[in-house]
Parts: sequence; C-alpha cells; structure tokens
Amino acid sequence: MVVAPSPVVSDATADAPSPTRIRVPRRRATTRRRRTELLLGVFALVTTTFGYALVQLADAPDLPPDLWAILAGVIGLFVVAHLAVRWLAPDADPTLLPLAAFLTGFGFLVVARLDEDLARVQAVWAAVGVVAFVVTLAVVRRIRTLERYRYTFLLLGVLALVLPLFPGLGAEINGARLWVRLGPLNFQPGEAAKVLLVIFFAAYLVDKREMLSTGTRWVGRVALPDPKYLGPLLLAWGASLLIMVRQKDLGSSLLFFAVFAAMLYIATDRGSYLLIGFGLFAGGAVIAYQLFDHVQTRVSTWIDPWPVAQDEGFQLVQSMFAFGSGGFAGAGLGLGNPTTIPNVATDFVFSAVGEELGLVGGIAVVAVVLLLCGSGYRIAVQAARPFPKLFAAGLTTIIGVQTFVIIGGVTRVIPLTGVTLPFVSYGGSSLVANFVILALLLRISDDNARVRVAGPAGAATSGAPPMTTSPPSATAPPARPR
Amino acid sequence: MNRGIRRVGGTVVVLLLVLVGQLTYLQIIDAANLDRDPRNLRSVLRDFNRPRGEIISADGEVLARSVRSDDGTEFEYQREYPAGGLTVQVVGYQSFVVGNVGIERTYNQELSGRAPELRSLGDVLRAKETTGTVVLELRAAVQRVAAEALGEQRGSVVVLDVRTGGIVTMYSNPTYDPQPLAGHDTQAVADVFAALSADPAKPDLPRAYREIYPPGSTFKVVTSAVAFDAGTATPTTVFPPLDALPLPLTDNVLRNFGGATCGGTVFEAFVVSCNTVFARMGLDLGTRFPPGLERFGVEGPPPPLDVYPGAARNTGLEGADFRTDTPKYAFAGIGQGTVATSPLEMALVAAAVANGGTVLEPRAAREVRAADGAVVQAFAPRPWKTAMTPATAQVLNAMMRAVVERGTGTRAQIAGVAVAGKTGTAQNSTGAPHAWFIGFAPADAPRYAVAVIVENGGSSGSEATGGAVAAPVAARVLEAALRP
Repeated sequence: MVVAPSPVVSDATADAPSPTRIRVPRRRATTRRRRTELLLGVFALVTTTFGYALVQLADAPDLPPDLWAILAGVIGLFVVAHLAVRWLAPDADPTLLPLAAFLTGFGFLVVARLDEDLARVQAVWAAVGVVAFVVTLAVVRRIRTLERYRYTFLLLGVLALVLPLFPGLGAEINGARLWVRLGPLNFQPGEAAKVLLVIFFAAYLVDKREMLSTGTRWVGRVALPDPKYLGPLLLAWGASLLIMVRQKDLGSSLLFFAVFAAMLYIATDRGSYLLIGFGLFAGGAVIAYQLFDHVQTRVSTWIDPWPVAQDEGFQLVQSMFAFGSGGFAGAGLGLGNPTTIPNVATDFVFSAVGEELGLVGGIAVVAVVLLLCGSGYRIAVQAARPFPKLFAAGLTTIIGVQTFVIIGGVTRVIPLTGVTLPFVSYGGSSLVANFVILALLLRISDDNARVRVAGPAGAATSGAPPMTTSPPSATAPPARPR
Repeated sequence: MNRGIRRVGGTVVVLLLVLVGQLTYLQIIDAANLDRDPRNLRSVLRDFNRPRGEIISADGEVLARSVRSDDGTEFEYQREYPAGGLTVQVVGYQSFVVGNVGIERTYNQELSGRAPELRSLGDVLRAKETTGTVVLELRAAVQRVAAEALGEQRGSVVVLDVRTGGIVTMYSNPTYDPQPLAGHDTQAVADVFAALSADPAKPDLPRAYREIYPPGSTFKVVTSAVAFDAGTATPTTVFPPLDALPLPLTDNVLRNFGGATCGGTVFEAFVVSCNTVFARMGLDLGTRFPPGLERFGVEGPPPPLDVYPGAARNTGLEGADFRTDTPKYAFAGIGQGTVATSPLEMALVAAAVANGGTVLEPRAAREVRAADGAVVQAFAPRPWKTAMTPATAQVLNAMMRAVVERGTGTRAQIAGVAVAGKTGTAQNSTGAPHAWFIGFAPADAPRYAVAVIVENGGSSGSEATGGAVAAPVAARVLEAALRP
C-alpha cells in the first residue's frame, strides 16, 4: 500500500483538542487503486461467467441463450459498485470489492447449478445487495457518525434479534425461528442484528475499554476485571444463549459470542476475558446440551454420524460423501450429484463446491475468504482511531468466523449449525448484510487513507507497510497495574 | 489494539487452515472410502448415467447391453437383458433400487470403464468415457439346452470346462426375468423385488451355486478318492455282501437302495452304487475323512466364484467327533447326513477326476475387452485345490466310465463318445429323493464336466432315480457342449 507524503491541509471538522485531521487530496495512488480494483474485478467476472457457461453446458450442448443477459447483469452490478466506490470512497482498499464480487458470482453459479429458480431470486438479492452497498457508502460518509448513535443501534439490534419471536410476525423454517414474514417476503433480521450489534459493541468497548482492561482482582497470575464491568460480557452471553434456546439457532449464537469475545479481547488486550468468555460459553453450551434435545442431537451426530446416516445424520453423511466423491479435482460443474444433500443451496453450498470442483475449488473459496479477512484486518490495523479499528476488526471477524462455523459444520470439524457461507450461500438477508459489511469496511479503509492522525505519541503516521509496523497504539495506553 | 487484531486475525487464519486440513482429509485421504460407501448413491448414479459395456456369451450372444433411455427419468441409460431369465443367475442385473448382483456386480468396474486396465492417462485427461465388455465362458446355446432338458422340473445344471475351470453352463429352474429390476421407477422395482422374494418357489435363488443339497451316491466319488489316497481301501478291496450295515453306537441299520444285498470289490460296488460298502468305507476312514473332504472344498471356505454373491459354503462332517458321532461318518460315506453340497461343487468334483485330481477355480468371465475390441484382461486358469493323486483320478475315471457303460448311469450314454459319471438318489427332508448325476466326457480326453440335480425327482417323483431322471439331462447337455 502506498501512502505518499503530501501537503497537509487542516480539516475544519477535526475534533478538539486532539488529534488533528489531515486531508490528503486525491493523487495518482487513488486512480491506481481503482484501476487495480477494476482489473481484479474483471478477473472475478471472467471466472464466474465461464463457470456459469460450464454449468449450463453440462446439461445442454449449446450455450444458454440468457448467457449474455446474465453477463450484462453481472458486469452491470459490478460496474455500479465500482463506480460507487470511485465516487464515494475513492481511496479505499482495491481488493475487497473484487473478492466479494468473485464470491457472489461464484455463489450465483453454484446456486444456478443446484436450482435455477433459487438462482433467479439470488440474482435479484444480489442487485438489492449492491443497492444496499451503494446506499451504505452514500449515507455513512464518516464512520464516526455511527459511533455517536451506539444505543440506537443496540436497540435496533436487539429488536431485530427478538423480532422473529413475536407471534404473527415470526416464522419457523427448517426448525429455526429466525424469520420474519412480511407479505411474500421472508427475511432473517438476525443478519441485520449482526452488523447493528457489532457497531454497538465497538462503540461501547472503545468507550469503556480502560475500565475493562483494569484488573482489580487477582486469581493466581490472572487479573480479573471488576465484576461490575463484566456486565456487557454477561449480557452478550445471555443474548447468545437466548438465541440458541429460543430460536434454536446454534450457529448464530456461536458467531455472536465469538465475535463479541474477539472484540473484547482486542479492546482490552486482556487474555483473561477470552478465558472467562470461553468458560461462560462452554458452561452455557453444556447447560443447553443437558436441557435441549436438538442440541444433543447436533452434538451426537457430529461425534458419530454413521449410525444415524439415514436419519438425523443424513445431511452430514451425504455432505461427507459429496466431498469424498469430489476428490482432488471434483466431478466438474454440473456433473456431480450434490442435490442428494438436503438444503444444499443454503447451509450445504460448500459441499456442492467440494463435490463438483474438488479440493481445488474448496481451497480456492477458503483462500478468497482468507484474502478478504486479510484485507479486513489490514484495514483495522491501519485505522488510526480506536472505533473504526475495533469496528473493522469486528466486521472482519464476522466473515471469518461465520465461514469457519459453516464450512467446519459441513466438513464435521465442529457440530453442524446453520449459518450461511458469506456471499456464496443462497439467502437474501445474508447477502444484503454482507454487502453492507463490505461497504462499511471500504468506508473505514477510505477514511484510513485520507485521514491520518497526528496523535501525541505520533502513532500510525508513518508510510511504512502497515502489517510490519508495531508501535503501541497511541489511543490504547496500556493501563495494566503491577 | 493492533496486537489484539493481529492475534484475532491469526486465529481466524488458523481456523481457516484447519478447514483446509479437514478438506484434504475428506477429499484425498478418506475420499476412496467415502466414494465407495454403499450408502453413497453417487457411484451408482454415475453408473446409470454413463454408457456401460456389454456382457456377451462365449458363443457371441449379447446377454446384457445399455441403450439410451428416454423414459423421462433422470437416468440416461437403460440396461437390457435380451436373454432374460435364461442367464440371469450368472449375468445378474444392474439395479438402482436393490443393488447389482452377478457379473454386473463382480465386474462393475470393468463394465463401467473405471478399471485401471481400461483407462489410459489420456482418457483421464480428456474425461473420455471408456467402457469394458465382459466376455463370459458361458455358452448360451448349451445353457438353452440345459433349460430345455430340465423343462418344468426344479433343478440345476452346471457344466465346467475341465481344462480352464470356465463355467460353460450354470442354470437353475425356476428362474426370473431381470428386466423389471433394472427399471428406473423406484416403486415398481421395489414391488417386483418384494414379489420375487415372497414367492415360495424361490425363483430368485440361483440354486446352482447358492443352494446346498445332500449329494447322495454321487458323493461316493469323493469317498472313494479319499479312501484310496488314505490307503484304507483300494478298488479291489472286497467287502462282504450285506443288505444292511449296523450303525455303531445305535440300534439302527443303514440299508441299501431297494433293500438289495450287495458287496464285493469297491469297483463293482461303485458301479452298482452299493450303500453298505461306502458307508463302511466312511467308517474305515474315520478321522482321516474330514481332511479329505477339505481337499475337495466340501469343508472349509466355499469355492471362489466370480459371480456375486459367490458360491454357498458346502457342509461336510462339520466337526462331528468320530468317537461319539460315528454314524455320521457312515452317512457321509454315501453323501447323506451332515453332507450337503451345491451343484457347482459336485461339478467341481467331477472336473477334478477328469483333470487328474486338480480342482480349478470356477470362473464365469473369460476376458475383458476395451471398446475397440482389444482384450485388456484375460483370465488364466487358476488351481484351487488338489483333491486326489493322478493315479486315484485315473482309477476313478475308469470306475465312472463303468457306471455309464453298464451300471446305474447307462442313460447318460452319448453315441460315439465315452462318458464317465456317477448317479445319485439323495434322501432329503423336503420330499421325494433328489435325482443327481455328475460326470464328464469324453472320458479318455475330458473336455467338459457336468453336474445335474433334479429336485425331488422332478416329474417322476418318488419313482425317480439319478440314473433315470438326471442322467438323460446330463447326456443332452454334454452332447450340446461337445458340439463345436
């Protein structure tokens, strides 16, 4: 990443007393980033378009007549998003959008291979996602605005979480009460809650981090924070248990808690929180296991699916068969039998990838998520102020952990829990939420490049490669008592 | 905070790498197991959606073939069995619903072109569909004669090529048409299969190699061979004439067929099938009897057979203690009591005599050909066991010739060809005695061995003997086999 030294212009909106905001005018580097983004995007588009053509050719001898329409649509969506970034976040990271475009296009072609009707719906949702992306970039012009409305977001987030529980509004689909039905539309407000609550967590933790990171009690060599500051941790624990129990949504519960624990750790730099968090979650999980059949079933199926291969373990066993039959190079797009797995387009979309594109295709998807997370964490590291730093890290952790939870579930690394594979799985709410996450990360990235902080400690002002810099963050003074 | 971010980021990287590790395990290390698992329908589905090689008889008849399917189901190919029930007990069927059996199962890899011999690296890279044609040793013409000779009677006919172990004929009646089982309508196939399974006549049972029967007097070939090799008797050993042999440890006696009195040399007792002599020989063998039975494959593992689900295990003395279970040894001497063998096993016994004592592995497939007709795999004869010494085999050859020339088996004679054989009329628990005949021809230069059983004497009922009912069937089939 290139940040050239440039004339410093004072920004009138800078917060007093410090730090001072500096606006860097647009330079060649900006255009280069956007050109890189376009080039990478072309790669993503070419790959997914070829893939789509292959899917169609597996069934019919000729290229599909709607190929050009699809191609135009895909290119159109990317171009819209790209132009929006050029206009609204011109200095943002050039890799995020192409990576997301690749995953979305890839997801579309896999869903198209599994179910044409779902693919049409997915295409519409992708368009809605791009609109949400542009709107987010346009509305959230500065990330600090979000920090100010933290309690509003908390309220909205909690509301979104409990919305499906209201009778008449919520609906249970596939055994999980995650849905809200409005006329013909079903959506999962939990997907929005993810983003909303991460905003709140980031803002709250930045606010309270000094108190939270001050240990007052010592147990052996571990400093425990004052119990009264454990409140948010316990709140998050309670919320995640509530989700697990009331909505039977183990995956989201795990995701919420992991993301919150990670953010708490980043904010306080205290490993004891991770230990406490892990202990609380493990305790909650054990209680849930004792009390609820569906949790027990999930765990026993995970430990040994073979005796119940025709019943509760059917999906998991079929998924493993899909991976085994896929082997190294896969059966080829459209040439496998992934439809033997129930719900293959949503929870098990990765199994279809594994069967038809093999280990190569599976690793490619994981690698793209890895790159996406790498870019996200780099943005977090580069951010000068604590809120965007923590916020970017939280958003990125959502994508990373969610990918682990679902792929780990379908490959029997962890018990199977139903969450979507970001950008890839069929599912509108999820896709839209992921595009909003993408827009927020780009917004933070753009802020990073344009606004640098000259803090008292002079941190994060150098033009050195960010992943190799390791000055202590100016805004996070270590406050650890001896 | 950067330290925390890097650590969390590092953790996410580790988590994603764990996924890569597990993917590698599933898709490379455990892949073959998962792909082969019978609950994984993918390989079956694949087989139904790709061309599949033919199964053809040694005389060139197509017994199974795949044609393009346009029945509107997801399957692109339909398996057809032009010979229907005539060859189903060997060919088997390919069924999506109930699984494959027979050659269709044993040689599935070859038929579907996945066998390594059939695939060159170029084919793999071009994803070219290869198929293999399986050529059987079975001759449809001889099989047809066997079916006609049995007619409506329940029973089996097995003909082996003495020099190769090749299965020239393996037929049993009743039989069934495999075509409905290869259908694409899951429910219809399941219904047909259930009806077949429920039929009391058991048409779905390939009796020739899956059912075992008391072999009766045909087993005297085995008793003689074991006794000669053990030295407890020679062809010229003389036994006193008896009408009944007292059974040790009991008050019972073992009688001759029809209450006759017979005795004399072993050779002559063999020709007229004298029970008291061979029961006595069984007792004389004592503990040396079971190891002799194992050399024929009557005890121990069943004969290896490349037709799924393989041959039934025969039963011999089954560990009966000579001191406490002595009568069983007398019954075993005449092929009754604990002894039960498949028709295939008895054909192997006849072939062993014809072959100088060596039992070859029975084999249904002759070779596998690639799509261009080139032979990619030819199955050579493989010895399975050594049943007797060549000298004993030579003596038994002469004894069996005498049976057909002037003994109980005269109705097995073929004009211009010397036939060797042995009849059997076996008491059993299901009704009238089973009529048996085992033998081979030409006796001086053996080519084909045969075993025939007509269950419960067939249409002749309780009047039937092996010589009257089974021997003529054997003659017709051997004659057909010897016809070029």
